[in-house]
Amino acid sequence: MTNLYLLVKISWRNLWRNPRGTLLTALALGLGLALLLISLGLLDGGHEQTIADGVRFGPGHVVVQAKGYQDSSSDELLLPAQVVSNIEGFLQTGKIKQVVRGVSPRLLATGLLSTSASSAGVRVVGVIPKDDRAVSLIPQRMVEGTWLTSDDKLSGVVIGDELARKLELKIGSKAVLMTQSLQPPGSKPVSVDGDEMQSTLLRVSGIFRTGLQAIDANMIFVPLSAAQALLGVSDGQVTQVALLLVKEGDSPLVARALRKQLTGSPVEVLTWRESLPMLAQILGLDHAFNYIMNGVILAMVGLGILNTILMRVLERRYEFGVSKALGLRPRQLAVMVVGESLALTAISLTLGLVLGLSVQHYFATAGLDLRWVFKAGLPPALVFDPILYSRLSVARIVWSVSIVFAMATIISFYPALKAAQTDLPDALKVL
Amino acid sequence: MDEFAVKLKDVRRTYRTGPIEVPALRGVTLSIGAGEFAATAGPSGSGKTTLLNIIGGLDRADTGEIWVAGQNLQVLSAGELAHLRLQRIGFVFQTYNLLPVLTALENAEFTLLLQGMPARQRREKVEKLFSEIGLAGLEDRRPAELSGGQQQRVAVARAMVTEPALILADEPTANLDSASAIALLDVMEQLNQTTGTTFLFSTHDPQVMERAHRLIRLRDGQITGDETRGSQGAAVTRLAG
Repeated sequence: MTNLYLLVKISWRNLWRNPRGTLLTALALGLGLALLLISLGLLDGGHEQTIADGVRFGPGHVVVQAKGYQDSSSDELLLPAQVVSNIEGFLQTGKIKQVVRGVSPRLLATGLLSTSASSAGVRVVGVIPKDDRAVSLIPQRMVEGTWLTSDDKLSGVVIGDELARKLELKIGSKAVLMTQSLQPPGSKPVSVDGDEMQSTLLRVSGIFRTGLQAIDANMIFVPLSAAQALLGVSDGQVTQVALLLVKEGDSPLVARALRKQLTGSPVEVLTWRESLPMLAQILGLDHAFNYIMNGVILAMVGLGILNTILMRVLERRYEFGVSKALGLRPRQLAVMVVGESLALTAISLTLGLVLGLSVQHYFATAGLDLRWVFKAGLPPALVFDPILYSRLSVARIVWSVSIVFAMATIISFYPALKAAQTDLPDALKVL
Repeated sequence: MDEFAVKLKDVRRTYRTGPIEVPALRGVTLSIGAGEFAATAGPSGSGKTTLLNIIGGLDRADTGEIWVAGQNLQVLSAGELAHLRLQRIGFVFQTYNLLPVLTALENAEFTLLLQGMPARQRREKVEKLFSEIGLAGLEDRRPAELSGGQQQRVAVARAMVTEPALILADEPTANLDSASAIALLDVMEQLNQTTGTTFLFSTHDPQVMERAHRLIRLRDGQITGDETRGSQGAAVTRLAG
């Protein structure tokens, strides 16, 4: 114990023989940790935002739809009314109710929107305005007019600004929407005269902008009742029921509960990872790339530390030789070097934590504005808010600190071994 | 107490650098009695330092027998040699070799700490020794704050504090001015007389040769002379050639 105290004391004092060198080395390792924390914070924050935006511009954290819809995207595949009411009833019960933030039944179809100026193929989304407001981000991205209200009934439509520009539409403008009646397999044609094509006159009540071309130029929103009437779908039938949860992490749990509840029904219950596989893959790739980059940064910092500690050890060969001559054992010499390295690591980690968490806090509150990078528009595959807000969990911080600590400790073993192997006659230059 | 502190029999050591072989010791046979104040002298490359390192267990002989404090060094492991050095041998180096991060007192108690002696006992022992060799008041100074002579006295204190059987001093006065060298020799001779500790120096310094009670001359790795000074100061040649 006394020996250990002596070794720790010598290690600590050795560290401050060259304060500038020690601080520079500590700063290098600290910067490594700070970079790791900052990049993980931005990565996690970015992913959290991307998922939040992705699910709210898309099918929610969990979506229930007719079996086979995910693969075929066939508009004819509809959820029966009793399944929809079963879902809505189940979501009002027990613990599930506490984790669900919003439920929106949607009817999806393709159509052609025409004005005197032009026409464009569109994706028609029939929604219950109040319900979709709780799930979708579109109502929050209105740039002109207002989101749908239940009073819009048959005539109101909300469109993206790209589409409005293309069709020269303004608030109050009229456009004709032409669609094909949806005829679920085995059902009779809804149209009285047997004509499958339907058209209706719509009035633009709102224009939104998400910044995502795929949405702004293609999607139009109409009240669910209007869509059902236009598409010849009976009351209660929808394409999907989108669920927004309080926490993304509950998605698998809720999906599992719904699958159990809907056992025997011809439905598929998907988490966002299954309904938005491309987004999940991009995030996965991003994670992998980030881990590789962090690995490279840490390896570079690690080699720097190894070099520094090794140099410090080699510079003191004579001193180690003297200590050994006086009776210090090789193991004790190794402990001294590892102790010195651990003390250096502790200083580095403190510096890294202060620096990394300060920058992380700034990015968590003010955000990192990347709009200048994406002046030309965001890639269509990405659902991405250009202002990144950092998010760093305690588990991530502990993981990062542990990784850097483990790396520094392992790195110190080699110089410690070199010190322990100090050859006495050679170190003391006996010849 | 053993009759002999050191006993060597036909000790040989050759250093090899690639194809070149440099014989440093060529069959040295020597006995140093317990309590002697002896010095080895000779020109550079004569084998003085090699002899001291082999006696101190810092280096190993190629052949021969080396007995120190009753132990055969040739059969001891590295760990056992370290233990022997810690318990039975003290070293004083030419360039003092104090640990720069420790104070004078901490340097002197370094070996006691390694021995695991309690702090209070350690401190008392070092402070007593410091006052005996004129270092009182300098306990808290770092080596860089001490003169060469003071540093070497701290090194002597470090070597003496464990009460070893043998102190090996490799050219201890080489970096000191005459006054400091005389003061250091006074200290070491006094310690030799009061404690009975065996001292063996290697030296170029005529002052050390003059003060040594026995002078062993080396040349080309062999003993060429061995003079013991009698109580009246007369030199007695024991062995030559």
